[in-house]
Amino acid sequence: MSNSHIFLKPGFINVPLQNGIGRYVGQLQRVVLKFCKNNGSSRGMREFIESDLVNFAKNNPGIVVYLKPRRHRTAVIKAEYLNGDTQWLSCRNFSKDEIYKWLELLRKQQKNHEGSRIRKLWHTENPSIQGPWTPFTFRDPKLNLATFPDEELGKSENVASTSQDELVEMFKRQKLLELEAASASN
Amino acid sequence: MSVLKRVQQWATFARIWHLYDAAWQNPFYSAELLKKYLMGAHKPIYHPMNDCGDHVIVINSSDIALPGDEWKKRVYFHHTGYPGGASWTLAWELHKKDPTLVLKKAVYNSMDGNLQRRYTMERLHIFPDANVPSNLLSNISNQIKQLRPKPKRLDEYTEKEIQEFPKLIDLPKNHILR
Repeated sequence: MSNSHIFLKPGFINVPLQNGIGRYVGQLQRVVLKFCKNNGSSRGMREFIESDLVNFAKNNPGIVVYLKPRRHRTAVIKAEYLNGDTQWLSCRNFSKDEIYKWLELLRKQQKNHEGSRIRKLWHTENPSIQGPWTPFTFRDPKLNLATFPDEELGKSENVASTSQDELVEMFKRQKLLELEAASASN
Repeated sequence: MSVLKRVQQWATFARIWHLYDAAWQNPFYSAELLKKYLMGAHKPIYHPMNDCGDHVIVINSSDIALPGDEWKKRVYFHHTGYPGGASWTLAWELHKKDPTLVLKKAVYNSMDGNLQRRYTMERLHIFPDANVPSNLLSNISNQIKQLRPKPKRLDEYTEKEIQEFPKLIDLPKNHILR
């Protein structure tokens, strides 16, 4: 999360009424395409209306599509959702494909997500089989019986052996050899 | 929230008390280690916005080991705010005044200067020796491993151990040890 998102309203991914489990209800209720018949900034919108809009409306019978020509104004998409959200999207100088892409987004999303940030990119009803982590999971059982402070527990790990240690080891080995030699001669 | 979930929440966010023996340890490297425990950064649930830091009790802070000649060269600056109120204290002088301060400042400086830093420092308990109040000692359930081995001084060996230590050479009787 970056600092620019810190004051956005935080939320989790959710769908209304378990949408998509068993049946799916498209959440986009109504979409209004506003455009100008003359202005160049609405050209992509006009092209979209000419070529793709009829197919879009046929494929999505659950969405009411309105067209609103307005003179000398920029092209705009206004979307209304079943939960009451409305989303306003400026389409100034958008190409036909861009408008198609944005309409697909509006069609597929569950509500207006503007002004909110998602805390997690996933949602699950069963977060963990093992159960949530606690400080006591994977804990060494030896610690249950320890009395603190404990010299052995606090000792540093992965220390290379010193020359003194090696010397003592050599001495012990030498002693053993001497013992073996003594026992062999007897 | 059901009873089970509430207990699960308490268990996950339970604060653990750790013990750290600072004897013969570099306070600046130790600070980087202790910082993680104080902020809770060693936990899988860590996030800067959740409050999951642990308590750390540090003992034997009077026996810390500064590297090189830092006792003589490291300077702690303080300004009272009044004109001429600046003062510079060497590390050995500061350590003489309060044997916990060098480590405390090392931990404080190792953390980012944000609003949580003062509250995180509240969870650090430093003691110059091994005498920890029993009410704090009873909380401890983990000991943090030291960063470097603690050397054993000659006077800490028993007479028998010294006698049995392997001799490299037999010095002649008339050899004079200086």
